Amino acid sequence: MQDLIDKLELAFTVNGERVSVRVAPQATLLEVLREDLELTGTKYGCGEGECGACSVILDGKVVNSCLVLALECEGSEILTVEGLTANGRLHPIQKAFVDHGAVQCGFCTPGMIMASYALLEENPSPTEDEVKRALEGNLCRCTGYRKIVDAVLSLARGGASDA
Amino acid sequence: MAAIRKYWAPETLKEALHVLAAKDAAPLAGGTDLVSRWTKGLAARPKIVVDLKHVAGLRGVRRRNGSIRIGACTPLSEIAADATIRYFEAPVLAKAADRVACPQIRNRATIGGNLCNASPAADTAIPLILLDAVLWLTSCGPNGIWTREVPITEFFRGPGLTIRRTGEILTQIQFKLQPEDAFIAWDKFGTRRAMEIAIASVGVALWVEGGVVVDARVGYGSVAPVPLRGRQAEAQLVGKLLSSEVIGKCVDAAREEIAPITDVRASEAYRREVVGVMLRRMLERARPDRQT
Amino acid sequence: MPEPASDVAVEPGTEKKTLIGKRIPKLDAPEKATGLARYLEDLKLPRMLYGKILFAGRPHARILDIDTSAAKAMSGVRAVITASDIELVPFGYGRDNTALKKDKVTCVRDEVAAVAADTPQIAAQAIERIRVTYEDLPVVTSPEEALADGAPIIHSKVPDNTPFRYDYSHGDVERGIRESDVIVEDTYCLQRVAHCCLGTSGIIADFDAQGRLTVHSLTQVPFLYKHDLSRIVGIAPEKIRIIQPPIGGGFGSKLDVHPFEPICVFLARKTSRPVRLVFTREEEFLATPTRQPMVIHLKSGARKDGTFTFRDVGMTLDNGGHTSWGATTPWISMRTFSSLYRVPHVRQHVDVIYTNNIYACAFRGYGNPQATFALESQVDQLAAELGMDPLEIRLRNANQPGETTGQGMVLSTCGLKECLETAARNAGWKEKQSAVSGQRSALGATAKPPDRQSSIANHQSSVVRGIGMACLFHVGGGAKIYRSDGCGTMLKLDDFGGVTVLTGSSEIGQGSETVIAQMVAQELGLPLKNIQVINNDTSLTPWDVGVHASRTTFVAGNSAFRAAREARGKLLNAAAARLKKKPEELDLVEGNVVERPSGEPLESIGKIIRGLHFGRARNELIMTTHFYEPPSTPPDEKHMGNISPCYAFGTHVAEVEVDLDTGVVKVLKMCAAHDVGRVINRLGIEGQVEGGIAQGIGYCLCEELKVEAARVLNPTFTDYKLVTTTDLPELNISFVETRDPAGPYGAKGIGESPLIPVAPAIANAVFNATGVRITELPLTPERVLMKLNQARADRATSGDSPSTDAKRRKKG
Repeated sequence: MQDLIDKLELAFTVNGERVSVRVAPQATLLEVLREDLELTGTKYGCGEGECGACSVILDGKVVNSCLVLALECEGSEILTVEGLTANGRLHPIQKAFVDHGAVQCGFCTPGMIMASYALLEENPSPTEDEVKRALEGNLCRCTGYRKIVDAVLSLARGGASDA
Repeated sequence: MAAIRKYWAPETLKEALHVLAAKDAAPLAGGTDLVSRWTKGLAARPKIVVDLKHVAGLRGVRRRNGSIRIGACTPLSEIAADATIRYFEAPVLAKAADRVACPQIRNRATIGGNLCNASPAADTAIPLILLDAVLWLTSCGPNGIWTREVPITEFFRGPGLTIRRTGEILTQIQFKLQPEDAFIAWDKFGTRRAMEIAIASVGVALWVEGGVVVDARVGYGSVAPVPLRGRQAEAQLVGKLLSSEVIGKCVDAAREEIAPITDVRASEAYRREVVGVMLRRMLERARPDRQT
Repeated sequence: MPEPASDVAVEPGTEKKTLIGKRIPKLDAPEKATGLARYLEDLKLPRMLYGKILFAGRPHARILDIDTSAAKAMSGVRAVITASDIELVPFGYGRDNTALKKDKVTCVRDEVAAVAADTPQIAAQAIERIRVTYEDLPVVTSPEEALADGAPIIHSKVPDNTPFRYDYSHGDVERGIRESDVIVEDTYCLQRVAHCCLGTSGIIADFDAQGRLTVHSLTQVPFLYKHDLSRIVGIAPEKIRIIQPPIGGGFGSKLDVHPFEPICVFLARKTSRPVRLVFTREEEFLATPTRQPMVIHLKSGARKDGTFTFRDVGMTLDNGGHTSWGATTPWISMRTFSSLYRVPHVRQHVDVIYTNNIYACAFRGYGNPQATFALESQVDQLAAELGMDPLEIRLRNANQPGETTGQGMVLSTCGLKECLETAARNAGWKEKQSAVSGQRSALGATAKPPDRQSSIANHQSSVVRGIGMACLFHVGGGAKIYRSDGCGTMLKLDDFGGVTVLTGSSEIGQGSETVIAQMVAQELGLPLKNIQVINNDTSLTPWDVGVHASRTTFVAGNSAFRAAREARGKLLNAAAARLKKKPEELDLVEGNVVERPSGEPLESIGKIIRGLHFGRARNELIMTTHFYEPPSTPPDEKHMGNISPCYAFGTHVAEVEVDLDTGVVKVLKMCAAHDVGRVINRLGIEGQVEGGIAQGIGYCLCEELKVEAARVLNPTFTDYKLVTTTDLPELNISFVETRDPAGPYGAKGIGESPLIPVAPAIANAVFNATGVRITELPLTPERVLMKLNQARADRATSGDSPSTDAKRRKKG
């Protein structure tokens, strides 16, 4: 029975804030972010790591949060899409997505943005091929990817084209 | 469906082995195969999950006595980026690690998990077969911690099945440094470039002297119950000059010795066809006298 | 009687100030990019329960008993319902579906029971404890089986398993046959594909203390939905409110009331608590109807100068276990067969047949992608038979503006010729054609595809390139599928120049909200940031028939633009009175009343508004309304009629590479030219085309929801392949602006068009590269290789030049 399972304490940092929650041992990071912390920006798309909609940054690496047990994140640092906005101002990646028309229904957008963030942290001047590879695990059904790739390229240091 | 009740993250191998000795305890590495199966109810959840990622000594790439030793909990993205592997000692292993799924998966999935999950399509298995890798299986015996070394070709028993016993942890993957002039190639084939479980994958390692093949290793993925070493194909190459005719016979032997199935991804006939094409193309590239 | 739209808001010399044609970021993009947009699954209501459905899991069976006792006994389960607990009102286009199934199930995804529980986990466990006793019945897996002697009757009201037949004709096909110098005949098989919206289906149902129902729904057609739902759940429509949160994709999947929706309402009613029911991805694949699979038999002819003479179409549709919009897609297929290019004689017969397979609903293109694949493959074949350039044959038969087609469609504007020429030019059509013939002679003129021995021996590249084209013809402003195809707008200005636009049309991610705001801002000369669009609450907004048939820019745009124009008139009159000028001497630009033609600002618009509101002599608020009904006519019983006020045209040219040894097809480049009347939001319209191309590539090369023995084999993203970033080809997109007189600022619809010609353009390019025509989708590497090998084998036995599957007959 669900109620009889002991929830375990989990302490970690999310978007710069120390957080402490009690979670069921089998709860995924995605569930805890969305349900316990009500950070609903990270999306459920498939629950099996095939679509990238649940992408977050875990200890500096982009991962599918649906494939991570919450308890694996004890002491870890998580960054979600909500953590990119500061004082109501859009992060440059978010602004680039908006300005380049890279958002249609928007459901894939948080995952795309986190995967893009991870890329640019590691490689501030990616080529188009490198951008595509970095986003190859993020599915989009609306945009056909072109403007998403353009948005990320516009942020490449050394000023890539403004498509 | 039973629930997970306890989660341990031991920091030493001894502690990990001790907890894993309990009933209903199972190891967790990257989780990219296990977690969704648990969530969807496709695999029984263990009562106790033992997270191996914090165990000292299980992560990293090291040179040791003329060999490369890779910790089983090394994420695939780390292997793909490791300079020693990628540029010097085992580019095919870096390539295979880099072609798994996508960055999100590669950042979590470990080489040990990829092998222990034992899909016939496991991308890192064929390069390791080409490298003649040896796997370290560690357990806690009456005399303390003990490791047995198993050649990779003996590790897999069937789809999802390995010779790893309950209570054993795969700790290291080791292979000898390769001579510089070996020709080693690997590729995987699917309907699209990314996010693919291979319809077929093929690897070839050749040592050629004066145009004659002195040693060869061939491996196939997704076309047998296990990642398969292609001994019949190898037999067609060793001691021969790498000519079109020899390549043709090798391809015929390969098509004979694999045992592909028809499933939702591809038919048996197509897999056989594709293995032949990939193998032929690789061997053609290895010919010293080929026209460009 | 609708007034003609006009363009006066964009004056020469003021182009830089106009919003029309500019690149405008979507109004809701910041919410979505920050993760703050609240989709349905992000919403929680107090005391909300979680619903889950038990699906049959078997394709054809009588339900003997359902034992819900174990589920009901579980802690945290608040309701368990079956068909016996609800009133069963038949719904769906064929009135052959009910929310829960009572006597039998007719496909694997039939809904048999449902629970509401405290958590989704408890709900999932409860579902597993419901015990259903079935008596399996023989399973019908294809239309052929359904029509065979002694076939089981799937729905008792339709003993021959054929709920619908359609027939259409114009001209005289027999005469067309006689007039043909070349005739081609072939069968085309179009597969099931899934919408794969990134956001899965879901609903929240919530009753208030007075029994009024609020539904948070993903519907694309809120007003029709409300009407249908009212009937199904037995609640008066005025007591139902539909609220539409942002959706994670539509593409036609949300034009129905799906069974899970009334199920959720019943759970909410039974528990007196809000209930949220959201599909997992697997449930989404299993229980969202697909695109309509089709088998199309097409025979067509041409004279030796390339003019088309006739088309004879037979279509067999697998209707699955229940009827949804898929059964009506042939009506749109018909429109392409009858009217894409000029063709004097056309006949079409369609049989729609029940099986125990999963069923089909609407999906972007609505029967047109299927029809266009067949037609454009065959046009290409006719060109090949005649030795004509595929571009030439299309230009020769291109529709012209002002024509009325054989099916009664009036082509007020038609940029087909320009689209053909533009796409061909951008793709380097002529140069690439000669490159391909060069490639052919290098491989031996009749030796395509080369056999393996010779290509190995000659160290020839086993990778060949080809180029192919296809055109589209589609409605550009709705298809008059309902008694009214209109949209209402209500508009109000506040004292400071803020504008609220209440539109009945919905935003489904396609950007209609932004286009409407653009048009209103343009008309009123106010900054875009002043415009707020409200479009997601049926208690507030006026009626709209819904987002489908590429109608929203045209119909909702016309409605909004006219409401804004009326408000503009009031502002100009008020300004004229205040400034002692004539209204025609004034204009509204960037928040000010300006003098024409100098553009000198005279007064802020805000002051004019406040002057009206707080005036001494009169007090007036500016509020306007407009209900726009497009000047189209519903089809008559012969399927004739001008169902849309305008029509979209376009051409795609695909450049591909084919690996002759593995069958892998790679799309290198897509050039698209679309007649859109007028570009309103350049950023948005490019996004529609790019997205449509990606969906089309998936449809052509790798997407298929595989059904075998009436069961779905691949209900996961692992094995249902969508294209990813690394599959993206080079794109070249152009727009032809034919300025439709009925369109707002001349605009026509484009929502569906970009998907329609992609598959045939690619397939024609594959033919160009290899000499092999493939008439089944998808063109997976395995299928392509099989067809290549077949062609090689055929050539080896017959010694002929490469044959195709087509039967050919030349007039003696």
